[in-house]
Amino acid sequence: MSRRMPFDADTRRGLSQISLPFAFSILLLAAPLALLLAMSFWTQDFLTLDRTPTIANFVEVWNSPIYRTLMLRSLKISLIVTFLTVSLAYPAAYYMSFVAPDNRKALLVFLITIPFWTSYLMRIFLWKVILGYNGVLNESLMGIGLIREPLDFILYNQFAVALTLSHAWLPFAVLPIFVVMEKVNRSYLEAAQDLGDTPFQRFRRITLPLSMPGVVAATLIVFIPTIGDYVTPKLVGGSSGLMIANMIEVQFKNANNAPLGATLALMALLLVSSVAGLFVWINRRYLKEEGAA
Amino acid sequence: MKSRFVKLTTAVSLAALPTLASAQDLVVLDWSGYEDPGFIGEYIEKHGSPPNYSFFGEEEEAFQKLRAGFKVDVAHPCSQSVLKWQMAGLIEPLDPSRIDRWEDVNEIKESFKIDGEYYMLPTDWGTTSLIYRTDLVDASKMDSLQVFTDPAYAGRVSLPNNVDDVYALAFLATGVTDWTNATQEQFEAASAWLRKVHPNVVTYWADGAELAQLLTTGEAAIAWGWNETPTTLAGEGVAVASNREAAEGSSSWFCGYVNVADGPNSEDAMYDFFNAWMDPASAEYIVEAWGYGNGNQAAMKALGGDVLDGVGLGPVSAPVLAQSPLDNRLREQMISEFENIKVGF
Repeated sequence: MSRRMPFDADTRRGLSQISLPFAFSILLLAAPLALLLAMSFWTQDFLTLDRTPTIANFVEVWNSPIYRTLMLRSLKISLIVTFLTVSLAYPAAYYMSFVAPDNRKALLVFLITIPFWTSYLMRIFLWKVILGYNGVLNESLMGIGLIREPLDFILYNQFAVALTLSHAWLPFAVLPIFVVMEKVNRSYLEAAQDLGDTPFQRFRRITLPLSMPGVVAATLIVFIPTIGDYVTPKLVGGSSGLMIANMIEVQFKNANNAPLGATLALMALLLVSSVAGLFVWINRRYLKEEGAA
Repeated sequence: MKSRFVKLTTAVSLAALPTLASAQDLVVLDWSGYEDPGFIGEYIEKHGSPPNYSFFGEEEEAFQKLRAGFKVDVAHPCSQSVLKWQMAGLIEPLDPSRIDRWEDVNEIKESFKIDGEYYMLPTDWGTTSLIYRTDLVDASKMDSLQVFTDPAYAGRVSLPNNVDDVYALAFLATGVTDWTNATQEQFEAASAWLRKVHPNVVTYWADGAELAQLLTTGEAAIAWGWNETPTTLAGEGVAVASNREAAEGSSSWFCGYVNVADGPNSEDAMYDFFNAWMDPASAEYIVEAWGYGNGNQAAMKALGGDVLDGVGLGPVSAPVLAQSPLDNRLREQMISEFENIKVGF
């Protein structure tokens, strides 16, 4: 007779299987987040960290226009990037799924991943070369006689940030939409055609609602990381294209104010989750109206 | 809580450090690019190989890394950081008796004396001045720092993304040549001047390579930058000139090595490293290859006035704002104000 165990064999196996992922999520997600939360209620004066809890940081973030401006600018750039990538990705995914012959699909997916062969940093520098004052774009436009002086409003601003980010995230938007489109049951389309739908009606009433989960996934995949992007504005944003992540870095480094940086990070997190939540909610309503959900 | 956090970060940084693990090798936390063996020929000769380097892109990065528990023997901050690093307990005093040419070390060493002890060996210095593209601007106007506010150069100006250099410019432009006794009003006047320049700025350059690229393409026609840039660019045939004798003046900066507290290795290697820097051959090398000055003032003098003038390190008749250590309160204000200005506030 073995000694009594608190759990039976199944429970023990279950617990041992879940313990590693659980420890990981505690250690790598919950603990840093808790630290961030705790830190946002502290204050720092030059080098000394004061652990008395206070909401002073939140008051400062709320009241000073600089953080609001950066937060709204990040939101704006990210929404533009999301809109651009998703609206460009949709036709590409549509072509891959509905138009291209089956034996070409694998090749097309492979082609979509080509930009990933180059490091993101390299791609940013390439955009600097393309958009620069004596860059590829300006030289070409001057070469064909469209402009006399180089355009100087195409690099080191929000436009350059939005363009570079859109280029980088486009493949990420194509893939989820493509995957969802692949699952659209083709016999629905045939049925719609048999019942007299025009190609446009067929698209609006079947393909679009059924591919909507892919669009939402693409929107979230692009929106969430771009709003907190740090390296793109740093390299191509100049001073007018700085975003909230750059300010968070400044607080942790140059300004010696980690608590304020933590508060800003937390507020950015809140902003992202609420906008992402809004996307999901709008999608639910849309699908309900279409009767697909 | 804190000690646990420090232990955790130390564990993580140690895990990421296999390349630095070989024992008895000096570990140097340095600016990227300073691993040039020409700076420390004597050390390499004696030890057979260069020390191990870990790099940073800006001093604050190095500061936060050291505070989080990163272990090195020697680090390379500039004048502004010494007091702050000392206050944070990151560095220990140097022993001047172990530096062979201590008498020849630039007299700026006295600025890094805290409570009677020396904390930094000044090793390298340079100047920051007005730089312009001779073919893109009216050279006759380049005799005053007020050109930075000229609307004719809107979108063609680049300033350093470095609070010390930028405020050196702003203080000079508003008539302050010694910032160690700047008043609150003078600080505010300098900030107001930077706000006036901001609309003209195309971007704030982060390092010499970026500035060189901005000037080469002509994206920036006027800049405030280190003397190394015009020296190198002129050598490459770019039509670039600098003017250290603009009416309001130019600035000079100093960097050096500090003895990081609790370094993992013996201090003998550290003093070998310091002595190698003070070797006259190293002085000659940094002037010729980099256009920067060396902290050995006797060796610099021996190079002769022509050589120094040629790289922009010779004496000038206009005012020079030396970037001497300044009150941390003022510096913290400068940092936060500069961030506001960059975002347009």
